[in-house]
Amino acid sequence: MSTVLDTSTVERVEDKVGESMWSKAAYKFRRDRTGMMGLSVVAFYMLIALGVALGLWGTEWSDNNGQKWEGISSQYWFGTNILGQDIFERAIFSTKTAFEVGLVVAVISTLIGAILGALSGFFSNTWIDEIILWVMGVLDSIPFYLFVAAIAFALSGFSYSMHVAMIATFWTTTSRLVRGEVIKLKNFEFVEAARAVGVPQHIIIFRHILPNTFHILLVQSTIVFVGAIKSEVILSFLGLGVKDGVSWGLMIAESTLEVQAGEFANFYAASALLFILVMAFNMFSDALQDALDPKKVSA
Amino acid sequence: MVNVLLQNLKWLNVLLLAVSASLVGCNAAIDIDKALEGHLKGPAKIYRHSLAGAPSSLDPVNAATVYANNIVVNIYDTLYRYKYLARPYEIVPNLAVAMPEVSDDGLIYTIKIKKGVFYADDPAFPSGKGREVIAEDLIYSIKRHFDVTNRSQGSWLWDGKIVGIKEWKDVGSHYSQTIEGLKALDSHTIQITLLAPYPQLIHTFAQGFSAIVPHEAIDHYGREFSVHPVGSGPFKMLRYESSNYALMIRNIKYRQEPIDLEFEGYDPKLHKQYGIDKISGKSPPLVDALKIDFIKETASRWASFNKANEINFTGVPVEQVDQILSQKRPKIILTPEMDEKYHMSHNIEAGFVHTDFNMRDPLIGYNDDPVRDKRNKLLRCAIRSAFNWQERNDVFYSGIGIIYPGIIPPVVPEFDPQLSNSSTLRNVDEAKRLMLEGGWTSDNVPTLVYGGVASVGTRQMYEQFRGWMKDIGFPEEKVSFDSYASFGDFNKSVKEAKIMIIGMGWGLDYPDAQNTLQLFYGPYGSPGSNNSNYNNLEYNRLYEQTSVMQPSSERTTLYREMNNMVIDECVSMTGISRDRILLWHKNVVSYADIQIVGGFHLKFVDMLDEEDK
Repeated sequence: MSTVLDTSTVERVEDKVGESMWSKAAYKFRRDRTGMMGLSVVAFYMLIALGVALGLWGTEWSDNNGQKWEGISSQYWFGTNILGQDIFERAIFSTKTAFEVGLVVAVISTLIGAILGALSGFFSNTWIDEIILWVMGVLDSIPFYLFVAAIAFALSGFSYSMHVAMIATFWTTTSRLVRGEVIKLKNFEFVEAARAVGVPQHIIIFRHILPNTFHILLVQSTIVFVGAIKSEVILSFLGLGVKDGVSWGLMIAESTLEVQAGEFANFYAASALLFILVMAFNMFSDALQDALDPKKVSA
Repeated sequence: MVNVLLQNLKWLNVLLLAVSASLVGCNAAIDIDKALEGHLKGPAKIYRHSLAGAPSSLDPVNAATVYANNIVVNIYDTLYRYKYLARPYEIVPNLAVAMPEVSDDGLIYTIKIKKGVFYADDPAFPSGKGREVIAEDLIYSIKRHFDVTNRSQGSWLWDGKIVGIKEWKDVGSHYSQTIEGLKALDSHTIQITLLAPYPQLIHTFAQGFSAIVPHEAIDHYGREFSVHPVGSGPFKMLRYESSNYALMIRNIKYRQEPIDLEFEGYDPKLHKQYGIDKISGKSPPLVDALKIDFIKETASRWASFNKANEINFTGVPVEQVDQILSQKRPKIILTPEMDEKYHMSHNIEAGFVHTDFNMRDPLIGYNDDPVRDKRNKLLRCAIRSAFNWQERNDVFYSGIGIIYPGIIPPVVPEFDPQLSNSSTLRNVDEAKRLMLEGGWTSDNVPTLVYGGVASVGTRQMYEQFRGWMKDIGFPEEKVSFDSYASFGDFNKSVKEAKIMIIGMGWGLDYPDAQNTLQLFYGPYGSPGSNNSNYNNLEYNRLYEQTSVMQPSSERTTLYREMNNMVIDECVSMTGISRDRILLWHKNVVSYADIQIVGGFHLKFVDMLDEEDK
């Protein structure tokens, strides 16, 4: 048996020599079938969420027009729940909830993580670094769900308490990663050069160094995104999550009694949609990480 | 294929529950046998009861939960109790010799207690032998409620009612000092003097809070007394694991009082099917040991009863009701399979569920502007007309609750079965007409804020309510949910009159409509028990008038007049009394009651011998 070298890939990568890291990564990502499949599923979900946000579908999620626990029919694709609500409509609407939570938490926590991580890394071994590290250490020392539940509980009157809770915990990992990268970058020649010509520190940090950590931020934000969706489900299940609207977590919580009565539609619908999205996001995130890994990209 | 999969999943679910229940049960079974070793002679009759929660304390001053009450009234004696079988409930002497002698002005109660009643033997007594119960013990037991160090949860029963009790508390609760209104005329006669007539006083002496305790036990056990009860009741505590179970054995010193079934309210048509006739003439307690398991999880409790046979009695979880019944209306009937295995009764809740408007909220309640005030009333009435009690009953109460108008529940003798039920019927057209009359449109209606605990059930109730409001023109965003992490937080907000629409339940302390009418008495507004903050001067006057009246047809008429006021002013969407289905094994002779009779029924429970079956 002889080994056949897939020369096409080698040639293609060689063709790209001289191009930027981003274009190499994009090329590599496109070649990753699992990643592309994950991305397609995520894009499909995003399309659903967008349609719900624009009021194109999922608008009847709160109507109680059906009978209690109706079966699957052309009118109710997934049947109805105990209140006679359309489970399909609620499951679709929950996609918007998931993306809303994921997006808000991912963007803000990545932003905070990036800024504090960059400051911490640039001013490493100074009091600024120590304070930021101390805050991160304190936050990280508290068990995640206990901490999230405590914040959600303390701010229970506030509609976005769950978002605050997740942001408060998710930024630290991003911050640590960025800090490490910035410590490495700040000794590079382009930073030395900027210093030599008298560029102010904040410009060096935010215009010269931080953009070079974007590959980390991008991967990290996808991880946070999916983490936020999972946490939302758990918090909503515990009654600490979504205040208004519906989410997969709430649907699963609702189904706990229904399952004992032999009614599984609510549980299956929410669990399946959640599972597929989380799985797809993980596939997408892994592929992105591989594509943006400088060692692999430049290989 | 899907069906097969679903079926398998169901079996898997049942299997898991059964395995976990049996694992827990195995431990419990081993514990019981060990614990009873040496305490019982020969084959023992053991009745295994279950409760949906655990008591937090067995000290009568803190017997605030139904779970604690179930145990307390079996370990201790109370002066009065309720008849085992009679409905409506009838209060009868227990430790007392007879009903109290009441002075003409209704202020002085004289009660004689039975002679020759002894506390169970316990190391707390000299030489370990329980002494006789005397009148001073009752006085001591009530004094304990007003001793601040005990943090009593039951003092409200007598606070401001008995002469001198406040003064006794104010000067430091010294037990050696006497209270003017609480006297022992002799070793077996108690005299209670009231500040004002208090017709419900007698009912307070049928509650766990009034259980009679010996001072020796408190002196001996100190703080441990809350887990080491010593009383003169039908049972004696053998082992108590506060979050798991209580194991009690027959108190061999309990007085011999043969059961007179006729006196207890026996009706062959109702009770013969349970084998109640077999206990006639026997002296309670009828079993040698009583084990009460505290099983909070409904699924575990159900599996423990239905699959593992670890407990002899259970309440049926709402989610199982449809599976075990072949008919709900007009009569509740078990499926043949269940009927063959179990006895069933159902208890109408001694209380009710109601949803109040906060009358202190100017957006929906009282408003200084008379025009707006009138419009608010129309809005409240419109919302009430859109409220669908039948649907709420079907979804949350298995469709077997009793829906009725007003605030006097069916379980009390003052209930009026003839009262029009129009206030409980959903009428969307009428609701829309009222909205129109009040000039309310989807643009100008206030945002309705429905408050509740952040639980699945409450949230679903809110969603159901929102659906009904949408039907009469409320936009979705104008019906919001104000959720609270715990009942304590929710209740705090209710007591601060911050919540616009309040869903609440109320359990009666005694079978007298006064107990629910006080929920709408103006001076009891938040932070008091009147959560709706309804304040009608005429209603208040009638309440004050009836509060000192003994039960009579005149008082009933006034009660019903007050009930109509609450209905007419659309203060509350009410109501429903839930019906709970109870099951017990066929070898148990019982007529279970989890309401007013509560734990008192346990001393009448018997287990059939093989030859009896």
